[in-house]
Amino acid sequence: MGVELSGILDKKEIQFNLLYDKEIAIDAYNSLYQFLSIIRQPNGKPLQDSDGNTTSHLSGLFYRTINLIEKGIKPIYVFDGEPPSLKKETIKERRKNREESRKEWKKAIKEGKKEKAFKKATMSSKLTKEMVEESKDLLDHMGVPVVNAPSEGEAQAAHMVKKGDAWSVGSQDFDSLLFGSPYLIKNLTITGKRKLPNKDEYIKINLEEISLKENLERLGISREDLIDIAILIGTDYNEGIKGIGPKKALNIIKKHEDIFSVVENEEYEIEGLKEIRELFLSPKVTDEYKLKWGELNKSKIKQFLCNRRDFSEDRVKKASDRLDSGLDEIKSQSTLDSF
Amino acid sequence: MSFEGKIKAGDFKKVIDSVSRLVDEIKLQITEDGVQTKASDPANVAMVILSINKEGFDSFSLDEEMEIGLDLDKLEDILGVASSSDFVELSTEDGSTLDVEVGGFEYNLSLLDPSTIQEQPEIPNLDLPSKIIMEGKTLKKAVKAAEKVSDYLILVTQGKKLTIKAEGDSDSVKLDLEEEDLIEIESEKDSRSLFSLDYLSDMSKSLSSADRVEMELGSDYPIKLKFPIVNEEGKVEYMLAPRIESE
Repeated sequence: MGVELSGILDKKEIQFNLLYDKEIAIDAYNSLYQFLSIIRQPNGKPLQDSDGNTTSHLSGLFYRTINLIEKGIKPIYVFDGEPPSLKKETIKERRKNREESRKEWKKAIKEGKKEKAFKKATMSSKLTKEMVEESKDLLDHMGVPVVNAPSEGEAQAAHMVKKGDAWSVGSQDFDSLLFGSPYLIKNLTITGKRKLPNKDEYIKINLEEISLKENLERLGISREDLIDIAILIGTDYNEGIKGIGPKKALNIIKKHEDIFSVVENEEYEIEGLKEIRELFLSPKVTDEYKLKWGELNKSKIKQFLCNRRDFSEDRVKKASDRLDSGLDEIKSQSTLDSF
Repeated sequence: MSFEGKIKAGDFKKVIDSVSRLVDEIKLQITEDGVQTKASDPANVAMVILSINKEGFDSFSLDEEMEIGLDLDKLEDILGVASSSDFVELSTEDGSTLDVEVGGFEYNLSLLDPSTIQEQPEIPNLDLPSKIIMEGKTLKKAVKAAEKVSDYLILVTQGKKLTIKAEGDSDSVKLDLEEEDLIEIESEKDSRSLFSLDYLSDMSKSLSSADRVEMELGSDYPIKLKFPIVNEEGKVEYMLAPRIESE
């Protein structure tokens, strides 16, 4: 998913207190998928309520968002809208992969291959419309702002950062940088200890900041160049040129004027090239959103999570209380730069 | 470039302590007038501005202005072994290491590269209507009482009266300080602001031994707390952003 640019972009480990009082526009789909794939039982099955509804995404969204708010961070969840038509192929491909993984997961369970079963299970994560809707409702009960993007969530999140309504995008993917976000924070909702796939080992996941400006300056390229590099490697809208990774793409783009002359000289074929560039350069975004924190509705949270989804009443109550004081702090503590 | 300074361990401890309550690392400017620093906590909710005149040092010599990067935790550990009446001798040749002689020990500490330390904050330009001078211990006591019932402190001036109060979910506490309970109070306008006790209680520990603490206050504005240190040869100024009541 997304563009793989980690080979050429530098990241900086940061501490949570640097994000105090800062709004982070989180790619909601990206986060929900993370929760679905990480938060699982040892056999690979997602968390479920007694009716068999998946609850991994709700558990992640609820507890991990509260952790952020307790640290004084102001999360904004930005949800995808209608995908651009160019993404249809990718979406079809992902669906196919999910179905394949699902079959292999079942097979691995039958064969008693635990590690493989877990891995395949995480790859079969599916986010349904209903899960998206209930996530939005939960956030609403929690007093956390939700923004509905007209199209790509990452593009909308980047737009909000560029406007100054948020300080950074929060996502595991790099696409928001292509959409022009000055900053990207990775691992926001998954910091801490995490199990390595295929191994019985745990690693510590740290918070990372990636600055668009610093990286462009270091690489000596423009944002357009970065987009062109991404297109050569492959994006959600095109497959990319076989055998070209980030470093090679960087060299190619640096040698040529732009991607059009690359395509001409190297006789590459990229379907809809102009259109893809446009999607990154001026994506569909909206200014119609409200960013308001703090209409916590504890009884609705309890009704939904405990009564309908079998969450522990005691844990939900404790977390709601933490959320309450966290929101209070967010709403009230000012910083010296506002004077 | 080189610097050598000698100062009472007790004084130096207090100096380092007043800054380390907010930050772990500082850039310290050493000039012919003495040493200065300013720093804000990573959230930029609070700021400290510190200066010590060279007269605050038992001896002070410098051939060129310099800026050094200090790890305060490390310094505090070292000063922990000294008794207050000891002297601390500080010296650096080039700003890359600091020699610290105290209590018979000779430490050689590597200094931090100042460029890796958080940028020094902009000092907000504030003209606050209420100015109060009080004993440090009065404020310290009020903060301590408030901590028992709430997470924040409410400071109110009405004419020549300062009220310090705290309101929790179930309990509350109030302290009225009239003109005679204070050293001075001058108020162009009545003020009312709320402050997080997380920050205030740390600050009040540093100022508790000061005979005179100058407080400046407004309505929903930051508070300034100024007090002398190192026998009036230095001063510490704290600034803390308020909590703003919603609705």
